[in-house]
Amino acid sequence: MDIQPTRRGRSLVAIPAYNEAATIRAVVDRVRRALPECDVLVVNDGSRDRTPDVLAGSGVLLATHLCNLGYGRAIQTAVLYATRCGYEQLITLDADGQHDPAQIRPLVAEFDRGEWDILIGSRYVERKRYDGVPAGRRLGMKLFSGLVGMTAGRRIYDTTSGLKIIGRRTFAALTDWHFIDFHAEALVYLMRLGFRIGEFPITIEERRHGQSMYSTLSHVKYPLKTVLMLVLGMVQAGVTRRKAS
Amino acid sequence: MTGAGVLLGAAIGIALLLWVANLIRHDRLYIGYGVIFVVGTLAATIVLIVPSLLDAVTRGSVALLPVASLSIVPLALFTFLMVYVFAQITILANRVTRLTQELAIRNARQESDVEARAAEPR
Repeated sequence: MDIQPTRRGRSLVAIPAYNEAATIRAVVDRVRRALPECDVLVVNDGSRDRTPDVLAGSGVLLATHLCNLGYGRAIQTAVLYATRCGYEQLITLDADGQHDPAQIRPLVAEFDRGEWDILIGSRYVERKRYDGVPAGRRLGMKLFSGLVGMTAGRRIYDTTSGLKIIGRRTFAALTDWHFIDFHAEALVYLMRLGFRIGEFPITIEERRHGQSMYSTLSHVKYPLKTVLMLVLGMVQAGVTRRKAS
Repeated sequence: MTGAGVLLGAAIGIALLLWVANLIRHDRLYIGYGVIFVVGTLAATIVLIVPSLLDAVTRGSVALLPVASLSIVPLALFTFLMVYVFAQITILANRVTRLTQELAIRNARQESDVEARAAEPR
């Protein structure tokens, strides 16, 4: 199933998008200006607005889910595409314009030093504090950051960042098992499999359009689901390691 | 409830928890459904094990809705049946998901091939 040649480079920038017509074109244009050597794939996750229309003529690849599968599955589609097309790196970023594509190049430079299998663009690693974050969210960030530290041996301060560089070595692990949103549960699973995950400081811009993918109900469900998946991820990583040895 | 009854209830609860966890781990039960079963089963098992909680719940339930203690058996069976039904729904949903992803990847690759051909010198 592999197709060998990439169109331009060895890196694929993937942008999962669900109803992001207001921002996606500007994000894509900024990415193409900042990283002209990279291919850009937008995973349209069943948008019901004009997201695919506004991308016409932008020169990006468009992978359209016929229905909404969720953020985790959209990332998985991008990983599958990157695997089959032979890319060395997958760079993910959000479609809402919060990430400045100009910050990707230093992230890539750090990744290219070869110390990491996944490098996360982190809003909190520099100050190691969650200043300016609403109380409920701050509690969640601290909880999951602490849980990752306890269960995987290395604290990750920004477990929910959408800006990541994923190396080819981790592609198979990311598609062999299932995750919710590629957050704390995925990080613990991968770290317990021996993959090296690091953080690199970035800043983000305020969201101007659209809304968060987390509804009021999901603020209750998300921690429960993530904790359960985190525990099961530890079990699965143990099983995988035993099978491999 | 007798000691043997508590033990039986706890054993059923643990069996259900292990089954649900195993289904989720193998991607045969969606985590969103699974977490409801896990939280519900944990709560029911804790009520069974802690005598003061069990007394309070029994008094409350008898006052509101008098039911025979035998109704616990069909309730347990119904819960297992629900897990099975939701597991089947998850399996079906996973097939749809895989198909949707494959179609998306295939379309993106075709688009990529067309562009590559257009860029080739004639």
